[in-house]
Amino acid sequence: MSDFQLALTNTAGVSSVMSFWVFVASNGFKKYHDKMMTAASIVMGIGFVALTLAIIARGVEAQRFPLANLYESLLWFAWATMGGYLALATAYGIRQLGWLAAMLAATMFLYGSWLPANQQTISPLVPALVSYWRQIHVPPLIVSYAMFFLSGLSSLLELFHSRRKVSLGLSVGTIVLAFTAIGLGTFTSVDTKWLQLLFVGGSLLGTIGAYYTLKIKSGEPNQKQAELYDDVSYRAIAIGFPLLTIGIITGGLWANHAWGTYWSWDPKESMALVTWLSYAAYIHLRIHHEASAEKLSVVSVAGLLLTLLTYLGFNSLGFGGLHSYGKFK
Amino acid sequence: MTTSDSHSKQSLGFRPVFRNGPLAIFASVKLTIFLLALCATTILVGAWCPQEATVGQEKVIEQFGEEMAVNLHNWGITDIFHTPFFLILIAFLSMNMVVGSLDKVFPKLRLLKLPLQFFGPDQIAKMPFNTTFTVGASPAETLEKLQIKLQQRGFKTVVHGNQLAAEYGKIGRYAPTITHIGLLSLLLGVTITSWTGFSGFKPVRLGDDLSFKDSEHSKQWIGKLPTWKVHVDATRREDYESGEAKQWYSDLSVIDDKGKVLDKQQISVNTPLEYKGVDVYQSSWGLDQLIVSFNGHDKTLDLRQMGKVYAAFLPLDSETVLIMSLRNQTAPLRLFAKRPEWDAPKMISEIPQGKAVNLGAVEIKYVRPVPVTGLQYKSDPGLPITYIAFGFIMLGVLLAAIPFRHVWVSVSKDGAESGSAVSIGGRSKKAKVGFERLITKIVESMKHELPPPVVTTAIDPESEPSINPTASRSNESNV
Repeated sequence: MSDFQLALTNTAGVSSVMSFWVFVASNGFKKYHDKMMTAASIVMGIGFVALTLAIIARGVEAQRFPLANLYESLLWFAWATMGGYLALATAYGIRQLGWLAAMLAATMFLYGSWLPANQQTISPLVPALVSYWRQIHVPPLIVSYAMFFLSGLSSLLELFHSRRKVSLGLSVGTIVLAFTAIGLGTFTSVDTKWLQLLFVGGSLLGTIGAYYTLKIKSGEPNQKQAELYDDVSYRAIAIGFPLLTIGIITGGLWANHAWGTYWSWDPKESMALVTWLSYAAYIHLRIHHEASAEKLSVVSVAGLLLTLLTYLGFNSLGFGGLHSYGKFK
Repeated sequence: MTTSDSHSKQSLGFRPVFRNGPLAIFASVKLTIFLLALCATTILVGAWCPQEATVGQEKVIEQFGEEMAVNLHNWGITDIFHTPFFLILIAFLSMNMVVGSLDKVFPKLRLLKLPLQFFGPDQIAKMPFNTTFTVGASPAETLEKLQIKLQQRGFKTVVHGNQLAAEYGKIGRYAPTITHIGLLSLLLGVTITSWTGFSGFKPVRLGDDLSFKDSEHSKQWIGKLPTWKVHVDATRREDYESGEAKQWYSDLSVIDDKGKVLDKQQISVNTPLEYKGVDVYQSSWGLDQLIVSFNGHDKTLDLRQMGKVYAAFLPLDSETVLIMSLRNQTAPLRLFAKRPEWDAPKMISEIPQGKAVNLGAVEIKYVRPVPVTGLQYKSDPGLPITYIAFGFIMLGVLLAAIPFRHVWVSVSKDGAESGSAVSIGGRSKKAKVGFERLITKIVESMKHELPPPVVTTAIDPESEPSINPTASRSNESNV
């Protein structure tokens, strides 16, 4: 990895951390709140530009499309998270989603920086990845994952503004638990069976708990803000769902082209289908008015957890399959 | 028009097909949600537990231990995608999709053919988003200006008297229909493949043939296996400078049952051989055997992959093992000896291909390695339909992202003055905030560009733009 590329990547990582703190600090300075929010968005914008250049520089250096291992996919994920937030913030004039998006991007940078050096250095491709299908199949998936995360985070804000604080607390706790399982699975040698149980069991209990505690209100809802974040959440899914569909289908086309079968029930592709089915259910619930905004928020948080399991869980929690390029243990 | 979707649809002629009768239960959206959730849970379990059909029973035992593996096998979890439960679940989901498509999705196409309706101020006031304002221009001029502004933003507009109706993103309304056609086509394509297609995998050594007689296919199969074979003329591995595999190649000949060559193609990973509806893929590669001669007598030894090298083991006596190691097809053969008292094997010699060395009274000649190419093959007659289905599904979900918006305007003369009172309202299924901002922007620009209303009496509070909240939750959104 060249110094130039490293400097750009570090700039992006530092920007995401700075942006997060400025977003958080803005809540303590009412007088400068709006200016600080704008400054935080600008810092994130700088990070987004730096990361765009870093990814391009990596591609030029590697002389291939720079999306071939876990580290590179994390760069793309952070890039899509930052870009997705900036687009949503421009369209909706929202800022509060910013600190959550910045925290997510910073977490991914941190996760990537802790990976072994052989993940960060540019390495040659295995035969299966030497194909133009790689640049068609992978980017839509990574961008869809980022959009689903933004949707889930926006749903947390919807729960906050609708004053479902018990449900919100359970949702946040479940997400933290899931990330903890991923972290332990990646960087420690804890038995993956326990981590699978921690992730899946925790997610199941947390989501069910969040759903059934929606009845508990703690104050008068800020209906206007709740509806705004509900709309943002749906919009992010409306962008992510077609991308996930395209990613799954182009993956099927690539698999058929390379291995002679477009579907082989590989764990990762099965999990992508589970995520697709969960968002298909969300969309059916939404368009047929079968659920309230708060219930849809919990479904969206469940979608975030499934997306996390699909993206990072299957590699770090000891599931096998053909999509093992993200593995490094 | 009321704000109730169901009521408005029925008044416009939409009526579910399967309202009564035995199929009505399959048209339920609640059933769709339940089946999607159950299907997702089942697939999640299948993704968590290694599937015997894909990775073999050994992998299940390795992951869970023998006792648990037996239990999982008995419960059907180790081959969950072939259990009657999953197949029945897919059948129910398919049934739900077919009935739901015929009942709700396809009939809605009729709604798109209906002409736009016009509404007065009272009906507009009940819409999810609505506002009123006054300007100093005539109703005709005001309506014309509004029409131009909506058209500039991509709306299709129709004017009737002093009323205007506009719509945007009608093409997005085709999304559910196109997606469901895609999903139904996918079912058709998969069914055709299941009844007539076949597939398989075979490691084939250099110089051997691949035949299709051991192919896998479904129990309801009505297809026919080809009689021609594929001969492996050559196969090789290309490496990066670091020694890692870059690509695998195989030169293949298609031969008929009399040995006549019908076609010749070179394949590699991602570049298969295609012949008469059968595709042959390069899916793996290795060195399978080693031919060496001892004092002129050829012997074939099996090779085992040991990390980046292939090795053959030949016991010389009860304690000494001769190890023959090969890095790749062209590298020299390296000879090692291993005894229990040695920490590591000791290298004895290195023999280039075709050369020999003498070890005591024995002459060892490295004749050649025997590579093996892993060939995956399949015939998939339903593939064209499946690909068309993929196209429909992708188009459908892309169209679904387009927001479908309606705007209605009613302009009336503002009392005895020369101005106009405008009622504007509408609805958007997606991106409601953006829609409300768009309408607010249009209203503001109208007020800015047209002369203000002539005020002859006390200020009427209703002459100011106002956002009228109604029962719908989207009324209270951020404007």
